[in-house]
Amino acid sequence: MSVEVKNITKKFGSFTALDNVSLKVESGELVALLGPSGSGKTTLLRTIAGLEFPDNPGVAKVLFYGEDVTSIPASERKAGFAFQHYALFRHMSVFENIAFGLRVRPKATRPPEGEIRARVKKLLDLIQLEPLAKRFPSQLSGGQRQRVALARALAVEPKVLLLDEPFGALDAKVRKELRRWLRQLHDEIHVTTLFVTHDQEEALEVSDRVAILRNGRIEQIGTPDEIYDHPASPFVYDFLGNVNLFSGRVKDGAMVIGGTEFAAPDTAGERDSEAVAFVRPHDIRVTRNATGPALPAQVIRANAAGPVASLELKRLDSGESFTVQLSKEVFQELAPKAGEQVFVELKNVRVFSDDYSI
Amino acid sequence: MANDRIKARKIRVLPGFKLTLGFTLFYLGLLVLIPLAAVFWKTTTLTWPEFWHTITMPPAMASYRLTFGASFCAALVNVVFGLVVAWVLVRYEFPGKKIVDALVDLPFALPTAVAGITLAALYSQHGWIGRSLEPLGIKAANTQLGIFIALTFIGLPFIVRTVQPILEDLDPELEEAASSLGANRWQVFWRVILPMLTPALLTGFALAFARALGEYGSVIFIAGNIPMHTQITPVVIMQELDMFEYGKATAIAVVMLVVSFVLLLSINVLQWWTNRYNTHNLA
Amino acid sequence: MTPVATTFHAAPQVVHRHTTSEPPVVRRLLISVALAFLSLFLFLPLVYVFTQALAKGFGFYLETLRDPYAWSAIKLTFIAAVIAVPLNCIFGVCAAWAIAKFDFPGKNVLLTLIDLPFSISPVIAGLIYVLVFGAQGWIGLKFPQFADWLTDHDLKIIYATPGIILATIFVTVPFVARELIPLMQAQGRSEEEAARVLGASGWQTFWRVTVPNIKWGLIYGVILCNARAMGEFGAVSVVSGHIRGLTNTVPLHIEALYDDYNFTGAFAVASLLALLALVTLGVKTWVEHQHARQDKTESTA
Repeated sequence: MSVEVKNITKKFGSFTALDNVSLKVESGELVALLGPSGSGKTTLLRTIAGLEFPDNPGVAKVLFYGEDVTSIPASERKAGFAFQHYALFRHMSVFENIAFGLRVRPKATRPPEGEIRARVKKLLDLIQLEPLAKRFPSQLSGGQRQRVALARALAVEPKVLLLDEPFGALDAKVRKELRRWLRQLHDEIHVTTLFVTHDQEEALEVSDRVAILRNGRIEQIGTPDEIYDHPASPFVYDFLGNVNLFSGRVKDGAMVIGGTEFAAPDTAGERDSEAVAFVRPHDIRVTRNATGPALPAQVIRANAAGPVASLELKRLDSGESFTVQLSKEVFQELAPKAGEQVFVELKNVRVFSDDYSI
Repeated sequence: MANDRIKARKIRVLPGFKLTLGFTLFYLGLLVLIPLAAVFWKTTTLTWPEFWHTITMPPAMASYRLTFGASFCAALVNVVFGLVVAWVLVRYEFPGKKIVDALVDLPFALPTAVAGITLAALYSQHGWIGRSLEPLGIKAANTQLGIFIALTFIGLPFIVRTVQPILEDLDPELEEAASSLGANRWQVFWRVILPMLTPALLTGFALAFARALGEYGSVIFIAGNIPMHTQITPVVIMQELDMFEYGKATAIAVVMLVVSFVLLLSINVLQWWTNRYNTHNLA
Repeated sequence: MTPVATTFHAAPQVVHRHTTSEPPVVRRLLISVALAFLSLFLFLPLVYVFTQALAKGFGFYLETLRDPYAWSAIKLTFIAAVIAVPLNCIFGVCAAWAIAKFDFPGKNVLLTLIDLPFSISPVIAGLIYVLVFGAQGWIGLKFPQFADWLTDHDLKIIYATPGIILATIFVTVPFVARELIPLMQAQGRSEEEAARVLGASGWQTFWRVTVPNIKWGLIYGVILCNARAMGEFGAVSVVSGHIRGLTNTVPLHIEALYDDYNFTGAFAVASLLALLALVTLGVKTWVEHQHARQDKTESTA
């Protein structure tokens, strides 16, 4: 049982928004579509909702629990869609906004007025906005509007819930609260959900699985742990966090950087060649006295403000600079000063075989 | 292939595209475009020399000069005073401002015949204004000055209403930035504000000018319609029609239509130019 | 511009002149110029209409309006407006829907064509209908059967009511469309899309979501359209034939009275149209106010 798209291609003029994309979302899953702007994530969401139609009908398919809905219009598809800027009906109260989907049903399937009221009330309860039922969208804060948009989408008991940048227009604090709330809500009602975001932290924190899009293709899909720990491409690696690049040479299962050999399991079986190693700032250990394989570097700047401390360093051999993140305790123990020489040990060194530059 | 059939039927999320576009084109075609085409059809019943002779006959030529000249002057005067009015309405507070603001649109709302007889009577020898102009040796009724006055009245709202929204949206930070850089108030106006208003002023000018060229009702009463002297082009057309000279009337109408089309085109270009500065506000 | 500090007070008070305003003298001068200009061109004529209308007393005023010719002119003007305004309203909504909610090639050309009647002299607007329907007109020469059919059924178009209605429609075609198109473009499609995703049919989307959103623009367009329809002079003048009591509209009746040197009578009838203009401006201001209020609540939230 799943929501599935197959071989979707969509172009806007000469711009390819989706390039033969396929994706399967299991029933009850919460999946994030993550990517930079222009990667096609919103187009994919709109295609699932029936707001866009693929350029290759016949080949492309959208399936809701096995049922082919590819050519079914949005109004009959029963997908719940929450728009990026909410698209609340500005002339209707919160209550009427949520009730809309039920009220527009044909007489035969429309629930009686009493039931509509009961259902809207239940949803208002769920989004904790019952006291504001009579307000108009213009009288709500951004976070409240987003919750109303969600309730409105849920009112029609959708087969799948689609959220376009649900937290995009909110400030940082409300954003964090709301995404925790969304996760709880999903654990409560278990509706199959896809949401679009360009914020990797959001995607990793909230979702069961993350699909990373780039240039209209899905670059990688997996659980947050999988994609963070095992990024399939330099793009994914870079997109999910800060990166340091170390140029050096590959030597069968190891990476030689500035004359020092570091373990790099990716390179097993590869020919000896020039390569670039990817290392996360928190995977670098800084010491005064090297105990294992280490690289000499000079401290450029030390900054201890914020929850973690950071160091800006320069390789002594090539002059390339890189950043290290370390805990406050380690930082205080080390007490580095600008200009002094230290050693760095690299962990979790990743090397990607194809050429890539950031 | 079955795919092609599906593809041929382009699915749209919102309904009614064919119906509404179809009705729009049908309505415009039937009521506007086909009757307009009749003008060009009628012109073909004239030979080229006949056509040329008609549109260049002295009363017609005099009427073009008058119509263009008076419309141009009226629009120009409106640019200056319209800008002052718009400025005052946007920037300053004074009692009765709301009423004044609402009344600016009077020339849009007041039927031209009413405006026509009112201006004619006001500026006649015995009218409130004509009476006080007479001793100064200024005559407005039955003169080209009268036509200019009527056209100024008609064009007044155009400049005010195109400049006003731009002036309202003008970011005060721009002026603050300019004064913090050492510009005095006049320099701020001349070098910062006015350039940003220029497209709107030009658009307003073009709109007022275009409206004045075709104006009929408000002009004929004050103008006296003396051939070669105070006869505007629409009156010349009217006169030919009264004599059942449809061909001649049409020939002169073609000249006016061509001018109108050119103006309409330039107004569209100007409006695009006006909005170009504002795109960042929309985003 | 340096702030002027007054040293006479114990606590120095700084008189701030805001950097984005002018000295009071300039301000007063500009206000005076604007008001003088507007008085000369707007207020004075407006006052003049009403004083002239009542110059011979209220009795004469009522008598002029009760005159059968005046009555028939008022009726004809109403008929023309009652037909032209709803038709142009439907047209405006259709055109705005097609243009604002869909993308198609040639949109800009269509926008220009809709504006066309505004840039054409009213005299030419009348002329084109004479060329189509008049004696030796297009219809008469190219479609004689249709022309005969019209004559057989005693249907006169030029110098009769249908011609007046057609000319009125022509000059008022753009009013509603021009109000609605930018409004609907600015509102975008997302509310309608949301309604569709929630299962609303096309009509439901239109009536429940679009119409409430555009109602102010619609009212605005309709009142402006109506003002022009009732006040049109040039175009109607060409196709009317000026038969008193039969094909004279209110503006034409004013002209007739004026040409008869019945100035007070002309201004009496004109005062009706001036009142209509004032009502139009009043409703227009009110609608703008409603609209601004709506916008304000939307942007402050």
